[in-house]
Amino acid sequence: MPPNRLMPRADTVVIGAGLAGLSCAAELAERGASVFLAAKGMATTHWTHGALDVAAPADAVTPRDGVRLLARSGAHPYRLLGGDVDAAVSGHLSRTADRGLAHTGSLDAPLVDMPTAIGSLRRVAIVPAGQAAAVEPWRGDALVLVGFARYRDAWASYAARNLANAEWEGGPGGISAVEVELPETDRLHNFNALTLSRLFDDPVWRAQALAAVASALPSGSARLGLPAVLGLDRHAEVLADAEQITGRRIFEVPSLPPSIPGLRLFEALHARILGAGGRIQIGFDVVDIEREGSRVAAIHTEAASRTLRLAADSFVLATGGIAGAGIRARPDGTLHERVFGLPVAAPPRDEWFSDDPLRPHPLEAAGIEVDAELRPAELENVRVIGSALAGMHYLDQRCGDGVALASAHLAARSLAGTTAAAA
Amino acid sequence: MIFPDAGAREFPPYSTDACVKCNVCTTVCPVARVTDAFPGPKYVGPQAQRFRGPSLSHTPPDRTVDLCSGCGICTRACPHGVLIAETNSRARAAIVERRGSSFRNRLISDTDLMIRAGAPLAPLANIALRNRMARWIGEKVLGVHRRGPLATFSRQTFGSWWKRSGGARTLPASPDPAKSVVYFHGCAVNGFEPDLGRDAVEILERNGFTVIVPRQECCGLPFISNGLYGKAREKAGRNLATLAEFARAGYRIVGTSTSCTHAFKAEYREMLDLADADAAAVADATWDICELLLDLHDRGELDTGFAPMVGLLPYHPPCQLKSHGIGTPAMDLFALVPGLRAVDSDHDCCGAAGTYGLKAERWQIAQDVGEPLFAKVRASGAARAACDSETCRWQIESSTGVPTVHPITILAESYRRADAQKTEPWRRIM
Repeated sequence: MPPNRLMPRADTVVIGAGLAGLSCAAELAERGASVFLAAKGMATTHWTHGALDVAAPADAVTPRDGVRLLARSGAHPYRLLGGDVDAAVSGHLSRTADRGLAHTGSLDAPLVDMPTAIGSLRRVAIVPAGQAAAVEPWRGDALVLVGFARYRDAWASYAARNLANAEWEGGPGGISAVEVELPETDRLHNFNALTLSRLFDDPVWRAQALAAVASALPSGSARLGLPAVLGLDRHAEVLADAEQITGRRIFEVPSLPPSIPGLRLFEALHARILGAGGRIQIGFDVVDIEREGSRVAAIHTEAASRTLRLAADSFVLATGGIAGAGIRARPDGTLHERVFGLPVAAPPRDEWFSDDPLRPHPLEAAGIEVDAELRPAELENVRVIGSALAGMHYLDQRCGDGVALASAHLAARSLAGTTAAAA
Repeated sequence: MIFPDAGAREFPPYSTDACVKCNVCTTVCPVARVTDAFPGPKYVGPQAQRFRGPSLSHTPPDRTVDLCSGCGICTRACPHGVLIAETNSRARAAIVERRGSSFRNRLISDTDLMIRAGAPLAPLANIALRNRMARWIGEKVLGVHRRGPLATFSRQTFGSWWKRSGGARTLPASPDPAKSVVYFHGCAVNGFEPDLGRDAVEILERNGFTVIVPRQECCGLPFISNGLYGKAREKAGRNLATLAEFARAGYRIVGTSTSCTHAFKAEYREMLDLADADAAAVADATWDICELLLDLHDRGELDTGFAPMVGLLPYHPPCQLKSHGIGTPAMDLFALVPGLRAVDSDHDCCGAAGTYGLKAERWQIAQDVGEPLFAKVRASGAARAACDSETCRWQIESSTGVPTVHPITILAESYRRADAQKTEPWRRIM
């Protein structure tokens, strides 16, 4: 193929369909750029809890506080993104609200504990409407965790027992659990979060199910924690019905994958990108790149035969870190970035060990080092966003979503600037 | 893919070792979305495959795998490169090999036979196809649902029209692959939609190609979908023998059916194990027509003299197209037509999945799968919709009442309108 004769397929090709890639593609498309999002498969939206983890290091009182603390640490991506967090978060909230997915909270809301499916606590400040009742001050209210008979992915009594032993400061006045027999579910072959959420979308079944929940509740006022299955396409309607029929405030407790709050988020952003004229292709990995000096001219994705050549002015790498498979370990103990072969900043092989695998693991911070406009070394028309960036411990610092959104916003802003300047 | 060297493309069931059971495939499965009878791609695919052994004879596959419609969405969604739909197709073929196939499935897979029988009797056959009593009998006797979307026969097949109009059929003595293409019309154009074939030829000729239409048979995909791999290999063998000659001479093979072209590109190799040089040559030479036109445009060689087309056009990119991995070229071509507002349906599957939606016991599943799409098409108020795959077009049209055409039909109309405006400028104000 004679590459220099070919016209570009898009202004920007975004690689990766996680929160970072989806948000960046949505914003670029909204700004009028032609965008092609290419991903090898679904990403971590389908596993996440649906709240927005912007920053919650131990000492932080609010997410804004957390961003400031992390930005100061020297190596954290927030040192580059500090000025973009506000616009990125508000952009994301209005983008998702437009698709019927409202959120509550802000960067200045206090980080408070909310329960997980196993009865541990996680600190959140910005949550989807379905989790809002969990972050409102408890003021002595009781909590009733609701489980469903034979539903294997959330055990209300187990979570309630663990929560009773957890140090939940300012938590509910009492914690108990009930198990509800939902209508018609004894005959189901597939009884999982997905099935339940789709059943809740059906108004007829929903009314019966919520009546069953209401009649199983102990008397007295309490807030209810239900598994996060309250509707997929008609979530807002389901939530409103649930509160009305039970007469209680209700929040969803995210459980095992697939995550219904994550699916709602994916669907909202997916629709937003298509609605703004973007293209999305999921299912095909990048297999080759064409470089011209310090620029990437095109990427090739695998196809049923040959490859798909995607030429563009710029490329956004949003393929994730080690967990998202954007970065891979080789048997020789080196890490490599899979698409462009960018250098990966990582500790040497003999420091890959940690007593506690989760908090904080040295490999978690491995990633790509970038300049102030998120460019990696040597490639001037590439931007790196999300968990592929070096320097964060997203499990401990709870900063994954905030870094994803802020870096996506900075990349979109910077690329829209270059496109406008070029035009 | 976790194990890129494990030979997964050559033998898809090997790829199931990469499954981490994340259930992403289940979230995207359109069939599992509407029926509890289908346990979902993870259960019938990677999970069950681990007990079957490579030859699929260890533990025979469970019948529930037959509820898979073969749309392929699971394979594309998998973050780990597991070839789920391909594994399920092989499992179905293993069941058919052990237990045999129904007369109905053998009949509706044999589109060549249907066209040979139906076309000469077109007026009569079409009366039967539209007759409620005949369709009712068809359902009771054959198991073809009385409301299953069936197109009506064309009296003259595309093949016989081409022959009569003296079009090229064979490799010329001095091949000119840069300026010629081979057109694979497939059964839909041949027996039911010859106008689409004529539009395709017109567009290809307008863009400087000489079109050759060699003798051809059904690509075999309906047989593959019904687990009849043996019959599919017979069809594939004969098509490959003809087409490989062109492919080796450097010709591109272009098709208007995204399912036939996908069979050449992928199914022949990934499901039928046709791993020879002919299959590879044909796979590499095969192009979807919109893919080819967009490639021309990328090179600055497409005639972009499209006349304005006013209005909203709901466009459904079919599952088979998405499995090509070529993006949505029709959307990019529609963007070249002034005034045309094409909108991506953003819906997974229309439900038809080839012959799936025709079967009496599957019809309701197929309708439920497609319903959100039908609702969007109806609500758009558009005069017509577009879709690249024939059975999907028929499904959308029969379930919505909105005429549904191939993207090529729209582009051909726009070109023709441009020509008319050149000779009759007053048309521009119409």
